[in-house]
Amino acid sequence: MLLRSFSVQATWNYRTLMGAGFAYVMLPVLRQLYGRDSERLRDAVARHSSVFNCHPYLVGIAAGAVARMEADGADPRLIDRFKAAVRGSLGSLGDQLIWAGWRPVCALLALLFLLVGLPWWVVCGAFLVAYNAGHLAARVYAFRLGWTYSKGVAEKLRQPWVAEVQRRVAMTGAFLVGVLLPLAAFGRTLALPHPLIAGAVAVAGLLLGLRFGNAMRTPVILVLVGFVLIGFLMRPQ
Amino acid sequence: MIWLQIALLAGVIGLDSTAFPQIMISRPIVAGALTGLLFGRPTEGLMLGALLEVFHLATLPIGAARYPEAGTANVSGVAAYLFVTPALDVPALFLAGVFALAWERIAGGSVVVLRRANERLIVDAQAVADPARLIERRHMLALVLDFGRGAVVTVVGALAGAALLLAFTPFWALPETVVRSAIAVATTTLLAAALSVFGGWQERKRIFLLGLLSGTLLALIA
Repeated sequence: MLLRSFSVQATWNYRTLMGAGFAYVMLPVLRQLYGRDSERLRDAVARHSSVFNCHPYLVGIAAGAVARMEADGADPRLIDRFKAAVRGSLGSLGDQLIWAGWRPVCALLALLFLLVGLPWWVVCGAFLVAYNAGHLAARVYAFRLGWTYSKGVAEKLRQPWVAEVQRRVAMTGAFLVGVLLPLAAFGRTLALPHPLIAGAVAVAGLLLGLRFGNAMRTPVILVLVGFVLIGFLMRPQ
Repeated sequence: MIWLQIALLAGVIGLDSTAFPQIMISRPIVAGALTGLLFGRPTEGLMLGALLEVFHLATLPIGAARYPEAGTANVSGVAAYLFVTPALDVPALFLAGVFALAWERIAGGSVVVLRRANERLIVDAQAVADPARLIERRHMLALVLDFGRGAVVTVVGALAGAALLLAFTPFWALPETVVRSAIAVATTTLLAAALSVFGGWQERKRIFLLGLLSGTLLALIA
């Protein structure tokens, strides 16, 4: 099940979202439990291929808990209600912890290594090792948690350590953003010709980024496109 | 031969974005370096990848949201750049970066098309004799389709990017200093914007300012 969970989003679609992938993850357990009774197996597969979605790394929490409930002979309606209840919280927890936490922190760490002049393989290697240490730990822990606490797993996720992990990851990210700003403006990688230009660049970027946040992404792209067009107007004779 | 290698790498990177195994070789910073490695110039690939990485720090792939696909587009941009330049060329690198930022919209569109195609792979478990086996087969088919999507969209992007760079770079004459400054403003703006992902200025100003101080000292030492 753990290995299958790595491809849980292969059949992601707009009708059942991760539903088919969830059934794919559950199949080894369902075969083990209902393998001799094709009718019950078909019913179980049908139930688990319905609409479902959550963060892909935390699917193990739901899959582990559902596997335990199936093994304990829980009422299928209870299992369906459990899946409906946890999918939202597993989605938002994973988004906060991984997509908006661990992943950008590891990317910032890689950018830091690049800006201090480390070789490419250290930059990429550090990113992949750091990120996947957290990634793999999350997947394994998710299955253990789901299997151990079964339908009580939601209570376990509400405990304060989850919020504390989120806070620490966010603090690390904020610190790294601060470290990277002067390195990007004054460092050797971009090698701006004068400290005054570098200072102006840093202050302009800082103010714009802090004031408008990620809403700056599209305007920045448009400005870069503008530079491309200006470059053609200044074409060599 | 190099195009076949690019297609294979892009297929794997396209898969890694969503379908399998999400170990983040599809992040621009890694995808760029790996593409550069195919050409024997990983550092330039890394630089372009790092630029795109900054654009994606605060992009979150949440639920059914549509978002640009950075990994495959970055492979296209890096391959196009390395194909047309014999050595480091900052203006061409900049143009390839802007091309990759545009191409990632098309790559993201191909993900939407694939997800619609995946709707046809849904198994009606009550209507077939052995739904378990059918689900497994269609799961594998979905992986193959995603691999193919990544390979095709990337190779087409790399060819288009290389053609554009070959055609237009000779007529482009922005001074390198201006190009570097433009990249620096974009980078610092988007880095500062990433603070919003970690709670924003109000919540994190102390630790952010501590980082700013540490970074300034580091820049002075380096």
